[in-house]
Amino acid sequence: MVHVYNCHPFASQQIVQVEQEPGLLCSGGGVIFVVATGGCKVEAYSLDQEGCPLLCRFATMGTPRIIQYSAIGDYLVTIEDKNNATYLRAYTNWRYQAEEKSRVGVRMLGHLLRGASQRSVAQMEIIEIPLSERPVAVACCPVTGDLLVACEKTLVLFTLRRESQHNLNQLNPQSSFQNTQPSHSKKAVPNSPSNPNVSVLDFERSVILHIPGLGPQQVALCAGYVAVHAELEVLVVKLHSSLDPKTAEELADMNTCVDQGEDPGDFLVLQRHQELLGERARDCGVSVTIEKTGMEETGQYTLSFVLYRRFAPDFFQGCSVEETKLHSLQLHPMFTRNKSMQCPEEPSCVFCFFSLPTTGYLYSLRGGVELLSAYQYPEKVLRAVLTDDLLHVITKSALQCFSVRCAAVAARVEDPYIDTTMRACPPVSLKVCALRMQLFIGLRTMCALGRHVMLLSAADAEPPEEADRATHTRSFMEFREHSMLTDIFLALGIDPTTTPALESLLSRPFLSKKWAGSRPKAPSVTGHGWNLYVVNTVSPITLYHEMVEYSCRYAETHPMGESCRHLLSEAHLILRATLIKPLPTAKGEPRELPEMPTDGEKAQRPTTDAFTDSKAERQVMETAFRENCAQLGDCFSRGNQKDCHLALPYYRMSGLSITEVMSRNRPLPISPCSYGPGFVFYLNHFLLEETDQILSQEAADEIIDIFSQTEPSQLVTVCASPAMADVSPAKVLRRLQHLEQATGMSVPLTVTMATMSLRLDDLRRYTELMEKHAEMLLVYGFIEEPRLLLHGGSGGRDTQVRPTQLANQLRKDQPGLLAAAMVALHENNKVQLEQADQVFKELGCEHNLLVDFWEAVLVASTKEAIIQELLFRLAVVYIDRLTSGMAAPSKLLKSTEDLINSCSHYGTLYPWLRILTPASNTGSQQQEALQKLQSLLCGPSMPIGAVQPLLEQLSLGATLWGLSLHVLCATRRGQHGNCIEKLLDHCPQAIIPYANHHLQETYMALWWQKLLPELCNRTRAETENGILLAALKETLLVVATEISPVEFLELMPDDGTALYFLPHLLACSQRQLLA
Amino acid sequence: MSAKTSLLKVILLGDGGVGKSSLMNRYVTNKFDTHLFHTIGVEFLNKDLEVDGHMVTLQIWDTAGQERFRSLRTPFYRGSDCCLLTFSVDDSQSFLNMGNWKKEFVYYADVKEPEKFPFVVLGNKVDVAERQVSAEDARQWCLENGNYPYYETSAKDATNVAGAFEEAVRRVLSMEERTDHLIPTDTVSLHRKPRSASCCS
Repeated sequence: MVHVYNCHPFASQQIVQVEQEPGLLCSGGGVIFVVATGGCKVEAYSLDQEGCPLLCRFATMGTPRIIQYSAIGDYLVTIEDKNNATYLRAYTNWRYQAEEKSRVGVRMLGHLLRGASQRSVAQMEIIEIPLSERPVAVACCPVTGDLLVACEKTLVLFTLRRESQHNLNQLNPQSSFQNTQPSHSKKAVPNSPSNPNVSVLDFERSVILHIPGLGPQQVALCAGYVAVHAELEVLVVKLHSSLDPKTAEELADMNTCVDQGEDPGDFLVLQRHQELLGERARDCGVSVTIEKTGMEETGQYTLSFVLYRRFAPDFFQGCSVEETKLHSLQLHPMFTRNKSMQCPEEPSCVFCFFSLPTTGYLYSLRGGVELLSAYQYPEKVLRAVLTDDLLHVITKSALQCFSVRCAAVAARVEDPYIDTTMRACPPVSLKVCALRMQLFIGLRTMCALGRHVMLLSAADAEPPEEADRATHTRSFMEFREHSMLTDIFLALGIDPTTTPALESLLSRPFLSKKWAGSRPKAPSVTGHGWNLYVVNTVSPITLYHEMVEYSCRYAETHPMGESCRHLLSEAHLILRATLIKPLPTAKGEPRELPEMPTDGEKAQRPTTDAFTDSKAERQVMETAFRENCAQLGDCFSRGNQKDCHLALPYYRMSGLSITEVMSRNRPLPISPCSYGPGFVFYLNHFLLEETDQILSQEAADEIIDIFSQTEPSQLVTVCASPAMADVSPAKVLRRLQHLEQATGMSVPLTVTMATMSLRLDDLRRYTELMEKHAEMLLVYGFIEEPRLLLHGGSGGRDTQVRPTQLANQLRKDQPGLLAAAMVALHENNKVQLEQADQVFKELGCEHNLLVDFWEAVLVASTKEAIIQELLFRLAVVYIDRLTSGMAAPSKLLKSTEDLINSCSHYGTLYPWLRILTPASNTGSQQQEALQKLQSLLCGPSMPIGAVQPLLEQLSLGATLWGLSLHVLCATRRGQHGNCIEKLLDHCPQAIIPYANHHLQETYMALWWQKLLPELCNRTRAETENGILLAALKETLLVVATEISPVEFLELMPDDGTALYFLPHLLACSQRQLLA
Repeated sequence: MSAKTSLLKVILLGDGGVGKSSLMNRYVTNKFDTHLFHTIGVEFLNKDLEVDGHMVTLQIWDTAGQERFRSLRTPFYRGSDCCLLTFSVDDSQSFLNMGNWKKEFVYYADVKEPEKFPFVVLGNKVDVAERQVSAEDARQWCLENGNYPYYETSAKDATNVAGAFEEAVRRVLSMEERTDHLIPTDTVSLHRKPRSASCCS
């Protein structure tokens, strides 16, 4: 069932002053073209001027059967007959034919001549396009101006070419629709009115599609899409042109689709309904083969199938093929603002419309073909025309206007955020409706352009389909004649029923001819039986306002009714369709009519563009759009559970503040219904979002009331929102106590209550509440609701975070809990490292608690990047503490020992470090820092390369702790020899523990290669140095066990002190013997 | 009773410079321009007229006479209802070429029965003092080639121009098989003058 709203989309009607009965009609470029029935003249009337004055009149060469206008190129193409032959012709420069007496040039396709336009006066020119077959139908691409011609067995594509006088001999080989930016080449041609004849149109036959057996009746072409329909079949394919030529066989293979069906000649094949989408349409049984005819450089065309649909006449319901015939095939492009800035030649959407007498079908082709809407007409439709905003159809007695979903598709192409919580748009599947039925008498045909609908009505002639109605009329008239005559006879005193002769006389309709001849004609201005009307549709904003008005009326009677929402959605799409269109400045070029010859004709620009052009109008539209979003928001916020989430995006798009939304949703005192689920959903989202907006106490308190009524369990989350900072804490506490009584205790609830107590400066109660739960549980509570501690973190990595009042209190009372909570939040990805830094800085504890936090994160984290970052940061902090001597003001949470025990990054301190830097050497705070740094250097994770430059700033050997760090680093780098020297220089007592610890395995040889010679040299210099001697002795003990006697011998000094070594040589030899 | 309008295609052929364009201009717009450009390719003009009760739209096709434009003009011979073979009386070569023009026309127009096809011969520029072709020779040629009507015209001073075109129309209409060429347009009532805008508005 189609919903019919009695809107008024039609504003006014004009009658075009046509002298002879129009037979053919088409429109475009601000012009309506009329060919009188059987005539050989085209009359062009201006649509943009009041009264539709005649622009010009030009003769055709034969009798046109079909006319079609292309705005791109400003040409009219005709299929015309003359002396039983059929011709295809394109009429260009027709605007120069203002007075009929100018000579008209005629040439064959492609026959351009250098001197052809040397004449100073521009001239109308007819291009005759020869075809090997009889043309049946034509179509022009609204994007490129290319021409598609359907013959009985083929479809021929002609690309539109603009040849400037300079490049007539070097033809541009690129077809306009494969060229991504043809507007550039267009722009290259100077278009000044002083030299109007600078470019000449021509066509190039670029590709032929062979479709034997389909029997095309109508075609359409748009941006490479080719649609064709036969009596009961529709096929849409897409032509792709690729510049790299493939082998012919490959292509032939790809592009052919052979009919495998049986020969229907011998059987009565009952065709069934069929719909094949996308490449599946290849199986439709219609053979399509490509034959390339264009110039070599145009590359290859390939073909993909888009859509196939077949209908079957319903013989059982008495429908014949005649009554089921398809008509009104149309491919409709839609350009949108953002996409057209990226590539102005590509329409964002392409729609395909076609119609049966009783049903119309609208498909969206780009980005996956899909059926958008099926239009069930209330009566047989003769013709239908799709525009961006509306679908117009005519029956024999009415013009009807249906809503369309094109804007809903285009909006989604344009804005990927539609169908998220950010933005919304009525769905593509929203049921279409009829907006208006406007009665007319004897409608024949129709065309539409922008906001104009052109209608041809002819009341006094009888087209075949009206025959039966006429028969009824006649019999009615006969009846009237009969009774009239009977009355006359009776008046004369004769009863005709008694006289057979009179009876038979009366049964003859002898007067009916006369009746038929003088049948009352339809009232018309010009007095003849036909009229050509131009019906103007109202502006989108007017239609919008009317729909809103209607919806209000529906809302009064059925506040929850679907109709109100549906009308508002329709109104939304009406506005969208206009707002989404490209700005005329951004996109003038491709839609622009070429070569406006005179100033007077600049008025030909479509007025719809001029309308949206105006900034004020646009502001009005945008205001209306926001208002509509607010109303849709209201609809969804009050509506039932289904789709209630849409309240959020619509309210967002409306630009209403939360307080405004709240006031719109306040239930009336008498109303039984409370807050709708959509509204609560909206509030929830608003409060979860990080906004800078802090609600007034009044508003915040109202929110608490709303949630207490609708979703008390959400109160904790609600209170945690930064927007609720000014809520009255006493009130919240009361509510939370109720909640606790009802649902039992929970950590977030308790902590929220504690926060409220804190706001009331009730520290006693705060402490009581905080002590209700173990610290570990509190940490879990903070993970559950981080906003108890931090505000502003949820917006992602780079957003600013602030500590809450509670966090500040924790810093004072329970710094360990705060650090632990922060670590937990960090590890659960609730807060980033930088954000945590920021929090601690804001809390004024970047020198202590922040470092504790880093240490704790280092212990807990498993992420390598975080670990490396923290190792470096901590090294810097420790060095800083060591050098500046600045001690942490409060107690550190974790000692070196704690850290060594809890993670591997802190290594156990090497034994020689205790000798080098005994505990008493530095202050206790510095000692802690030194030990942590040493421990890090003892661990495996610390990157030495990163920390080395920092250590180099410390003066070597100035302090033993400095030496310890240098030696640690050098050791990590494998520079043991260097370390040995330094230790012997500054702290020889540590040398043996160092050697024992580090001179192992690969470094074992250093015992005798480095340490032994060093000790020998040093003891020789200081013979009384007991420390060195002891070390030498230890060294010799090790050496004796590790090397062979021969090697030992070679080590022996030859300065007469060999005696000292002998016992060790002996031990070495004995060990060797044992082995 | 109703009248019907026919669209009659009449084509002007003849050597370059014999005055085909001038004849057409004189007939349709009643103007004469001594400095007309060469016609390039093919051009046409329409003229509505009433002949013996028939509303006729005469579509006069002017062609480029120069040889180099042959490929541009010949495709449009097809569908002609009458051919006006034109020469200039001050140019004997243009007269001698008439046979070739006729042959070219018959060939490209694909005329089924050339002997029955209505040709009309025009000897133009009779205003010029020094004639090279006598009226006698012209009449003789017409007689020998199919008994074509011959008109001596001057586009410059409008001599015989309308007569020649009207003869062409009459020739076409007089042919018996004309009915299938008649293209019905709007019914024209007798009391109403054609091409008068006031009666319909």
